[in-house]
Amino acid sequence: MPIFLNQFLLLLIVAVAAGALGSLLGLGGGIIIVPVMTLFLHIDFRTAAGASIIAVIATSSGSASAYVKDGLANIRVGMFLEILTTLGAICGALLVGRFRGSILYVVFALALMYSLVPSGRRILEELRGRPRKLERRDSAGSGRLALGLSLGGSYFDPALGRQVEYRLRRVPLGAAIMYGAGLASGLLGIGSGVFKVLAMDSVMGMPIKSSTATSNFMIGVMAAASAGIYFGRGDINPFVAAPVALGVLAGSILGASILPRITGVKIRIFFFAVIAVIGAQMLLRGLRGGA
Amino acid sequence: MSPEPRPRTVELAVSFVLRTGVVLSAAIICLGLALLAAGGSLARGTRIDAAIAFPRDLAAVLSGVIALDPASVMLLGLLVLAATPILRVAVSILAFAIERDWRYVAVTGLVLAILIVSMALGNSM
Repeated sequence: MPIFLNQFLLLLIVAVAAGALGSLLGLGGGIIIVPVMTLFLHIDFRTAAGASIIAVIATSSGSASAYVKDGLANIRVGMFLEILTTLGAICGALLVGRFRGSILYVVFALALMYSLVPSGRRILEELRGRPRKLERRDSAGSGRLALGLSLGGSYFDPALGRQVEYRLRRVPLGAAIMYGAGLASGLLGIGSGVFKVLAMDSVMGMPIKSSTATSNFMIGVMAAASAGIYFGRGDINPFVAAPVALGVLAGSILGASILPRITGVKIRIFFFAVIAVIGAQMLLRGLRGGA
Repeated sequence: MSPEPRPRTVELAVSFVLRTGVVLSAAIICLGLALLAAGGSLARGTRIDAAIAFPRDLAAVLSGVIALDPASVMLLGLLVLAATPILRVAVSILAFAIERDWRYVAVTGLVLAILIVSMALGNSM
């Protein structure tokens, strides 16, 4: 088989996996396809980054149309928090070069590692069949901001067989973390899906499935805003980005059909593993000098 | 206290924009691939990221599309994909206005303004 076709098919298959995982966990899927492109296919880093931006947009758009209809992705929460992430991303882009990249990587890696402790504890609690009383926490802790902006929602959860209702709490802290997530993505050029999911799930008390679906809804906008820059620099190579886009779209539609039916604790376990990997990657990169 | 029931205009409009963008872009990309396969311009042994020329500005993409250049057609599909989330923000401003949810018309308008500033900054950097 010609090399072109081999590489095309490999990218297509990897992209399906990346799209499925990304749409389940609220991430862009770059952590899967970028290493495959640079390490196995020896595609240069800029072309890989351009294809990764396309992958983020494809994951987001492919899954969000289903999530929005299901009510899993909360448009109002997403729109409100997008103010913070987009502002953070602009500030981050303007500050590039002012800080040592290596220190930033270590800081963000430690933040991710730290989040593993409560996440792990929560997984154990849920596996032992003692899920926290979500309803009680939600209505009790909602502040003025959450009420004034109607930051809450409901969706039918087929895995639980019932309607889930929620209201956000600790919105100012969650919003601050969202700004930090935008800052990180602007400064370091990394996806910020993990920070978004953590802010919604762990801080603001949004159900994990809604958190990943809403993160998914949000990540496409930021990526689309920077896609023009990549295109103008000639980093969007259609021969690489086309199979990635088609594969990720297929994978994300697949993922979006799985998420409603899977239990929250399974998503949590997946998410825990991915955070451990990303945290370790970022720590290594920071210790190596941020290259 | 349960969240108040809401009209679904915004959800349906956003879902429609996203689905249409995805289907349209996938169809255009597939057309580009079909043209690539039909043209047989790829010699055996070519790497996927080999230096096959492809356009990097909108005018070149559009003139390439008219000439049925496979790379340009695929890029058009990718650009449609990239434009979809921005369009979704713009359309939701309209949808929130139809629902008379002025708080969210303001929130979404602010997001769109920030996006425009960020794109302008990005092009000047």
